[in-house]
Amino acid sequence: MTGSAFGNYHIIDLSQGVPGGFCTKYFADYGADVIKVEPPGIGDVARRTGPFFQDDPHPEKSLLFFYLNCNKQSVTLNLQTSSGREMLCRLLEKADAMVESYAPGHLAGLGLGYEQLKQLNPRLVVTSITPFGQSGPYAGYQGNDLMYYAMSGLMYTSGAYHREPLKHGHPQSLYMGGITAAYATAAALYAREATGEGQHIDLSLAEATAAHHYGPIARYGYTGLIERRAPKVEGGSFKGTGFEGILPAADGYIGPSTQHGRQRGTLAEFAALIHHPELNDPKFATQQQRQERAAEFDAVALPLLQQIKKYDFFDAAMTDGWVAGVVQTQEDLARCPTLQERGYFTEVDHPVIGKLKFPGEIFRLPGAPWSLRRPAPLLGQHNLEVYCGDLGYTREELVLLRQEGAI
Amino acid sequence: MDGPLSGIRIIDSTTMVAMPTALHLMGDMGAEVIKVDSHTLPRGEGGVFPEGRPGERYWDQDASFNALQRSKLGVTLNLRAPQAVDLFKDLVQVSDVLVENNRAGAMGRLGLGWEDLRKIKPDLIYLSNTGFGYTGPWRSYAGIGRMFELTCGLSQFTGYPGEGPRRVGAAFFDLHVGWTAVFAIIAALEHRNRTGEGQWIDFSMYQIGVATMGDAMLDFIANGRNGRPMGNSHPCYAPHGAYPCQGGDRWIAIGVESDQQWKALVEVMGSPAWAQEEHFGDGLSRWKRRQELDDLLAEWTKSHDSQALMHRLQQAGVPAAAVMNARDEISDPQFKERGFFEKVPHHSDTGIGARVYVGRPWKMSQTPSFIRRPAPMLGEHNEDIIIGLLGRTEDDVEELYDLGVLGKEPANQQPPGRGLPVEKQIEQGTMAGYDPGYRRLLGI
Repeated sequence: MTGSAFGNYHIIDLSQGVPGGFCTKYFADYGADVIKVEPPGIGDVARRTGPFFQDDPHPEKSLLFFYLNCNKQSVTLNLQTSSGREMLCRLLEKADAMVESYAPGHLAGLGLGYEQLKQLNPRLVVTSITPFGQSGPYAGYQGNDLMYYAMSGLMYTSGAYHREPLKHGHPQSLYMGGITAAYATAAALYAREATGEGQHIDLSLAEATAAHHYGPIARYGYTGLIERRAPKVEGGSFKGTGFEGILPAADGYIGPSTQHGRQRGTLAEFAALIHHPELNDPKFATQQQRQERAAEFDAVALPLLQQIKKYDFFDAAMTDGWVAGVVQTQEDLARCPTLQERGYFTEVDHPVIGKLKFPGEIFRLPGAPWSLRRPAPLLGQHNLEVYCGDLGYTREELVLLRQEGAI
Repeated sequence: MDGPLSGIRIIDSTTMVAMPTALHLMGDMGAEVIKVDSHTLPRGEGGVFPEGRPGERYWDQDASFNALQRSKLGVTLNLRAPQAVDLFKDLVQVSDVLVENNRAGAMGRLGLGWEDLRKIKPDLIYLSNTGFGYTGPWRSYAGIGRMFELTCGLSQFTGYPGEGPRRVGAAFFDLHVGWTAVFAIIAALEHRNRTGEGQWIDFSMYQIGVATMGDAMLDFIANGRNGRPMGNSHPCYAPHGAYPCQGGDRWIAIGVESDQQWKALVEVMGSPAWAQEEHFGDGLSRWKRRQELDDLLAEWTKSHDSQALMHRLQQAGVPAAAVMNARDEISDPQFKERGFFEKVPHHSDTGIGARVYVGRPWKMSQTPSFIRRPAPMLGEHNEDIIIGLLGRTEDDVEELYDLGVLGKEPANQQPPGRGLPVEKQIEQGTMAGYDPGYRRLLGI
């Protein structure tokens, strides 16, 4: 028997942007009924964030919003109006979870804080996603992707020795926050089976990124040593130690490593892998020697690698049991044979964008598989269905609510 | 105290980082996680030991192992012995979830594949984590977290503008994949609770990493666009970067996302003439002149202390954060007040004392989570599990030790060397420094 994993859950997504959107995407993709509640007129900030379909910054053409919000419904609601607040409460009476990303205290100020919502629906799980959490001296500070990287320790250990610390060039911390919110919310819903009660989850995006620094934190606590970014190796584009950097190939970039199965591979084995036995010079035999003679080694090794096509290197190395990487571009991902063969791409028919190839299944759960049930919603597309159909407002009332700016 | 996942028993037959992370979190959340280890496999290879010196029981003293395996019980089963495979199956029958990360097919060769185990435990949830999944042309390739930054498409955006791509200094996708595994296991438990059915989860690290690149893939599909290294810049906001501060290798990250924040920044700078010029007056103008803006801003930041400036800017409403290292994080008042780093006392036999580990990035109001126990010593819970849980006798267990099925000390002891002296590591640049007061700072 198949069915969906979260098919009996109703989730209200009050959040803005990537973290909450990515969180509820996991639930929506594995069956939950997710309603995005957006401010009237402008909607979720993701609707104003690129990339846009054909670079047209139309509010219904954000590809970021499109990616994050398939399988969800959208209603509009203005929480500054009393009608809007009442409608949200009616939605929450029947909901299992709510995900929100307002600044700490904002919802409580509107009479919608966790303590108040608990009176309304004691089984409700409320997940609050904020930059630094609900408590502590930074609770009121401004956060964004760059701040989370800076505070996480990840920037301090990334980049070139003599240059400024570096973050990822894609706002990855926001996705880390999203998956963190997803598993924590799932755990709280699971706990509810035993306790019968909902609860409040207080999530810090800065901490979700800082969790990645577990190694240097443990090292400091064991030895007092403080890790920093790439060693001082001069010369060439030699960016790490030995073969641990990202190096240019004929048609892109590759990531060789010295890891060969469970062992450290030798230079002789690497030279054989790339069919250039002359690289196996005893003066470069150990990692230490290669590091000490980095510029000299670069002068010999880099031109050899630059003759090899990136996938030729990757396939040869991986087939031979090395652990290697290949820098894939957006194009490479969109055309990846592994993803195609695993049925990763599907097609979505969106009312404004039209038909578009879509990145689908996150992980394979055969008993309760990933499914695509609807395209990303237009702003307020489901007002009628949700407010009249589910909550029992009349169409006349809906018109009045629109005119007073509540929806 | 019960955690959100209390009552679930999980077998952890995994190595590396991603799955151990998933399962220590589930352990923090109250699940009973049994780590199946073997005294025949190497342990203590991480190279980081208390006070930099591997001790007598070096195999129990590895910082990385202890960080990743907390909140778990430990049993040693040498799976090359048929008795161990039988014990493993007995363990499966009393467990809810099995997680493994061997290469595709390896568990099947031991008679411990999904098809074997579903016969004895039909509602088992069985997660196989591999680099690229069980199907597709890359199914036999090995995968490790740090290479997925490249292969999942993240490195193409990462690096200094005008140069080639770079990795960051962490095994980045491991945590994302581990966290997704927590979600997937709970999804399968929900499904089991409703249907009574177990299932096998084909978990591909690559595919899960790629799922964070959805907007980027669609940008190619719809617009034919490929990425390039972005430095610390933002696709539409400026200033946005890391700027130098007073002292060696001290930086502040400032990321202005609105005119209001820009005005606040200008005010904190004392409203210099350059900052009030029309050509920095709105977002698009600032973004177009971001290089010039970065240079001017860096001139101002370099005479400031990064921590003090962070607070001054934040109090004025400007997004700013000091670029922190491990020591800064441990001393940081926000992380401290939220208890993000947890102190864990180890068993006295290990000679480790108490150490500090990263907690979880969230708090739940009703069902508490915390590091429930330190990482197990090798074979620490053999008797609890083999006798207490699986009902074997003390004589049975004694025989299993004699046969080498169980062990409490490594079969091949290869004490690690002491590694490079601290001064040498600092000279080579792999370490920023050594803080002799670290134990005092941590209260250990």
